[in-house]
Amino acid sequence: MAIKIALAGNPNCGKTTLFNALTGSNQFVGNWPGVTVEKKEGRLKKSYCAGSTEEVIIMDLPGIYSLSPYTLEEVVARNYLINERPDAIINIVDGTNIERNLYLSTQIMELGIPVVMAVNMMDVVEKSGDKIHTDKLAGKLGCEVTEISALKGTGLETAAKKAITAARRKAAETPVHEFAQNVESAIRAVAAKLGNGVPQEQKRFFAIKLLERDDKIGAMMSSAPDVSAEIKSLEDAFDDDTESIITNERYEYISSIIKECYTKKGKEKLSVSDKIDRIVTNRWAALPIFAVVMFIVYYISVTTVGTIATDWANDGVFGDGWHLLGIGGSAYDAACEEFAEATLFTDEVKAAVEAASRAGVIGAEDVLGAIEENDFGGFDEAYGSYADALAEAGFDLSEVVDPLLEEAPDPADYGVWVPGIPVLVESGLEAAGCSEWLMSLILDGIIGGVGAVLGFVPQMLVLFIFLAFLEACGYMARVAFIMDRIFRKFGLSGKSFIPMLIGSGCGVPGIMASRTIENDRDRKMTIMTTTFIPCGAKLPIIALIATALFGGSGLVAVSAYFLGVAAIVISGIILKKTKMFAGDPAPFVMELPAYHWPTVGNVLRSMWERGWSFIKKAGTIILLSSIVIWAGSCFGMVDGSFGFSTELELADSVLGAIGNGIKWIFRPLGFDDATAAIATIMGLVAKEEVVGVFGVLDFVSMTKAAAYAFLAFNLLCAPCFAAIGAIRREMNSAKWTWFAIGYQCGFAYVVALIIYQLGSLLGGYGNVLGTIVALLLIAALVYLLVRPYRESGTLKVDMKRLSKSKA
Amino acid sequence: MPLSMAHAGESNVIKKVGGREETRKFLENLGFVVGGAVTVISEAGGNIIVNVKESRVAIGKDMANRIMV
Repeated sequence: MAIKIALAGNPNCGKTTLFNALTGSNQFVGNWPGVTVEKKEGRLKKSYCAGSTEEVIIMDLPGIYSLSPYTLEEVVARNYLINERPDAIINIVDGTNIERNLYLSTQIMELGIPVVMAVNMMDVVEKSGDKIHTDKLAGKLGCEVTEISALKGTGLETAAKKAITAARRKAAETPVHEFAQNVESAIRAVAAKLGNGVPQEQKRFFAIKLLERDDKIGAMMSSAPDVSAEIKSLEDAFDDDTESIITNERYEYISSIIKECYTKKGKEKLSVSDKIDRIVTNRWAALPIFAVVMFIVYYISVTTVGTIATDWANDGVFGDGWHLLGIGGSAYDAACEEFAEATLFTDEVKAAVEAASRAGVIGAEDVLGAIEENDFGGFDEAYGSYADALAEAGFDLSEVVDPLLEEAPDPADYGVWVPGIPVLVESGLEAAGCSEWLMSLILDGIIGGVGAVLGFVPQMLVLFIFLAFLEACGYMARVAFIMDRIFRKFGLSGKSFIPMLIGSGCGVPGIMASRTIENDRDRKMTIMTTTFIPCGAKLPIIALIATALFGGSGLVAVSAYFLGVAAIVISGIILKKTKMFAGDPAPFVMELPAYHWPTVGNVLRSMWERGWSFIKKAGTIILLSSIVIWAGSCFGMVDGSFGFSTELELADSVLGAIGNGIKWIFRPLGFDDATAAIATIMGLVAKEEVVGVFGVLDFVSMTKAAAYAFLAFNLLCAPCFAAIGAIRREMNSAKWTWFAIGYQCGFAYVVALIIYQLGSLLGGYGNVLGTIVALLLIAALVYLLVRPYRESGTLKVDMKRLSKSKA
Repeated sequence: MPLSMAHAGESNVIKKVGGREETRKFLENLGFVVGGAVTVISEAGGNIIVNVKESRVAIGKDMANRIMV
């Protein structure tokens, strides 16, 4: 039978580093049943097994400060320790902060499970000149104590060996720490009442918990004895509640032993971390420093390196192809330029485009701009988008330009050309004599859909490296502290800022970043509002509308971000006043870990864990939805009967029929046509798909108010499937996922309706009924914003479900 | 006086921890116990960072007002 060893310790004590060092890559990451607390299990590396033939499973418990029931992590950890009863516990203790860490240790040792204490960060302790006498500590505490440095990897073998030995021995030492006389006698009295339902070695733990009035423990026992008499006599004697009495007793005990076990060298008042904190969290300097850090992260991961990586992935790997290491890239560009100047941009073409531009044809200006700058790539792109618009307005260039484009330089002739996946797959399928519909499914449906999303992976990985670094070095905790002041004003906590910042790149990692928020209410609210911020994929929609109807004004983009922020603030206030989210934001209390340099391995591992979970999602949810949407667009009325065709006009397809069927929903928003409805549905696969369906031409018949309402709805409504999948995963509940999507769509609908109706009114073409409805909705929003807060509830965890689902 | 009014850099002894039960217990678990020492490291808009039992803990203004030193 496998030996089970649990790792328990305070947050930030190096537990995860130790876990990674002990297990290497043999890890299984999941969630604890019923809650979004991460569960990590792994197999001990063979080299640490000390010749033992048994399998050793290491369980990484969430970081906790005590075994009381005040946070989800504590409940999860102690349920595991009580119900699953691992064979041994490695209690990791931060050597630089030993007094506070021992508080948890005194509780763990009462569980009746063999404990090996691993004093971590011994290298830092030694460097500071302090001394921890582990032998004395072991004698006082009555358990094995060993020195390690998880970061440097020293002492791990000894720790693992001691833990295995302890696990084999089974029986735990009885805890030697003793509290004050009358407390001890009360514990003994309660323990005597416990009966045979509780094993002997666990009696002390249960007795103390009952004395502390821990009702969750009472609920776990088949029959909890009445201990109110003992509680009363203790509370009378100490003039305090029992839980505080026992907390104090623990600290008293620790103070009594710490003097002998811990020699502090200097009387230095401030540690290095304290000194850094005085600058980084300084009242005046904090925000500027934070702004600079965020600018660097954002600039590198979203604007520069990230864009290069995304372009490479989208246009190269999932596009036509790319030049390996850029070899031949510049030669190709030069050839294109030469070709454009000599052959393509003839006076005839130029004159036609100029005339179109003068006539005000949409997009002609872009094409003209590319010609004037002699930019072949830009011309190719603009011509591709607007050729139809030009032709419709009577400036048909296709007969002149299309044959010329055939002669354009082929990138494959220059340098080392690597064809993209679609090109490779297409030639492979053609060679295999694959049927047309299967090729369409694979190329347009699967590779087109999944590829569009996977294209964001390189950018996300760059962002994740930065985040992992900021988290591991300790700055992320300070960010929450700095931003808390601002976010508190509208009901969110400072920790909500990070998900939103990441969400401006991509909503999926943004939603996943909400994990760092411990408070359940705050986390759910952050998940629900993060995708209001325009992500990278929404930018093409904004650009499209800005070009088509607002003369390319940059104000449209600015207003979109403003709309996103406003939606978060308004939603924050509204939701906080509902019954579900009632209560103040949890009081801001968090430990700030000491600053330290993270190891490269840990940063990369953290990056990969997040990236991989995204890739897995793309492989499942997005794959499925891509296929469904593809089928919807390829099946439909072909020549009067239902059938399949890859050349189907959108209006004839099943998707078109659905669009026609639901378009009435959007009438109050001003865009009741089938294409707009389909575009919105396609936006669920990936937001940039909206642009693919809804070209520039479709806007001609639209008013500005309707176009902006369309934009607002698509920015705020349910995010793409990938992000919905992330919401599902982080909410860990179908009900909450539906609520989030419903809220987002409802909110988007209301906002878009108000924009359209009032916009129409200002434009002089409003209608009475619509205006009244819009005004009523505004009144409702204002009411929701200003009504008083409700009373708060307390943390409720379904203990029955938690303990049942372990089976 | 409340902890929120203590000067940065000086060490104070905790006299009382008030506030909501849930939060008070959490603070006790973090080392904020009556008789323990606490040092303010930095302060920003009422939110403070303190050193308690050798660890740095950030606490919001509303909590800091309820810890008497």
